[in-house]
Amino acid sequence: MAQDSESASDTEDSDLELQDAFSKGFLKPGLNVVEEAKKRYVNNVVGLEQCLEEFKKNIEWIERLDMTNGPAADIIALTEGKSVSQERSDIDPDDDFQREMYFYRQAQATVLDALPQLNQQKIPTKRPDDYFAEMAKSDHQMHKIREKILSKQISMEKSEKAKQLRALRKYGKKVHTEVIQQRQKEKKAMMTAVKKYQKGLTDKLDFLEGDKVSSKTKKEGGKGPAAGIKQNKQGVNAKRKYKNEKFGFGGKKRGLKWNTKDSHDDVSSFRSKVAHSKSNSFGKGRKKNANKRPGKRTRQKKKNQAR
Amino acid sequence: MFSSLCPDPQGRWKNKERVLIFSSRGISYRARHLMQDLRTLMPHSKPDTKMDRKDKLFVINEICEMKNCNKCLYFEAKKKQDLYMWITNVPHGPSAKFLIQNIHTLDELKLTGNCLKGSRPLLSFDPTFDKEAHHRLLKELFIQVFSTPHYHPKSQPFVDHIFTFTIADNRIWFRNYQIIEEDGSLVEIGPRFVLNLIKIFQGSFGGPTLYENPNYQSPNMVRDTSQRVTVSKSVPRAKR
Repeated sequence: MAQDSESASDTEDSDLELQDAFSKGFLKPGLNVVEEAKKRYVNNVVGLEQCLEEFKKNIEWIERLDMTNGPAADIIALTEGKSVSQERSDIDPDDDFQREMYFYRQAQATVLDALPQLNQQKIPTKRPDDYFAEMAKSDHQMHKIREKILSKQISMEKSEKAKQLRALRKYGKKVHTEVIQQRQKEKKAMMTAVKKYQKGLTDKLDFLEGDKVSSKTKKEGGKGPAAGIKQNKQGVNAKRKYKNEKFGFGGKKRGLKWNTKDSHDDVSSFRSKVAHSKSNSFGKGRKKNANKRPGKRTRQKKKNQAR
Repeated sequence: MFSSLCPDPQGRWKNKERVLIFSSRGISYRARHLMQDLRTLMPHSKPDTKMDRKDKLFVINEICEMKNCNKCLYFEAKKKQDLYMWITNVPHGPSAKFLIQNIHTLDELKLTGNCLKGSRPLLSFDPTFDKEAHHRLLKELFIQVFSTPHYHPKSQPFVDHIFTFTIADNRIWFRNYQIIEEDGSLVEIGPRFVLNLIKIFQGSFGGPTLYENPNYQSPNMVRDTSQRVTVSKSVPRAKR
């Protein structure tokens, strides 16, 4: 006869008794497991009611000040357009905000119902300003609370300011880099166009116009800078020429002869006008009194003649 | 609003309720502060020294008799972790035992409201309290314990705060709000706690069990099951 491993049952039921039970049909073949009786929770409703009746105090409402009511209307849900009818099962104890709002609204509903009744019974609900009495929380505690709230506000404002500043700086930097890049691009384009013109690849001076739209401004823009550039070129040319001679291609070599046959035959620096002029105010004959003022007699003569 | 500012000085204190609030030894700081907060909020309460947990609970009935109290709030701390609360009607019962969780005391800086010390509270109950028999019993018990009697010598005449009891998730949630405006704007004062009903007895600290909460799991069981879960997670790793 198969039995489970409960040692208690082995000691309680002897083999003979088990055989008896089997023959009577109480036990079936196979593994018999002792079933644990399901735990029954006491709910003595009658007893509870009786107890309640016994110890209930029938005192006036004004002594008890109790109210039983559901929560007040949820204003937030109304404004958002959600379903107004709140069922009890809706409270999710893990959703802190919803749960606390439910308690708050329940308290609100009680206040709205009870205050008129209190006013009827002439029980004051508002503390007058000159009524000073001990509070549940000391002044020191309230001061601490106020400070905490203030510090929170300040820190929030600071972080907001810092965020804004950061964002502004970022934006500013972006704009700055863009502007610089734009300027560099323009400069590069202008320089390449100018060089092209210098090298003679293009005749047009279109690059000077830039992004100006009207024809008038185009013309004006075309003339002024063009003339300036031409002059510049010439000026640059002469100076450039001299400098190129002196320094270009490694400059003049030192230790070169200079009174050679070629230099002797070179008469390019001969100025006939200067050479054949008889004025003393040039070259060696130059005297301090080159622009001499005529004498008194000569001046008077001239004066008389002019009259 | 109302005609006279002065409260009625001729009112006589008729509803003689006195609640003995005390605890056992081995109580944590949070629970001790909660107890002190309740003593502050209830002017009809009386304090007492800590009781040794080795004494039997029915000794409390004698203590209450000596102090002339007819209600008792006894906080029992076990393992320096779990806090149980007995709320009883002393001479003949009934009594209820709760497990207290999620304690927030008056000192928390996030609870910004304040009220007069000893002012009478409004009590607000969930409609669910009227449905089941055991909830109705608890409601009556709460009303008798927490409502400050009218014209109590230590009470203030103004009604400026409200206690709410709500049933959610098979537990009773307690909140205390300050009434700021007549239109119902409230600020939380504290304290806050959650009561998990264990049993209701017919007598005071004893007697036949009238109700047992099927949803209640003792903190030891909770710790045990969570430990088992972590152990079962780690075993396969060991076998590798």
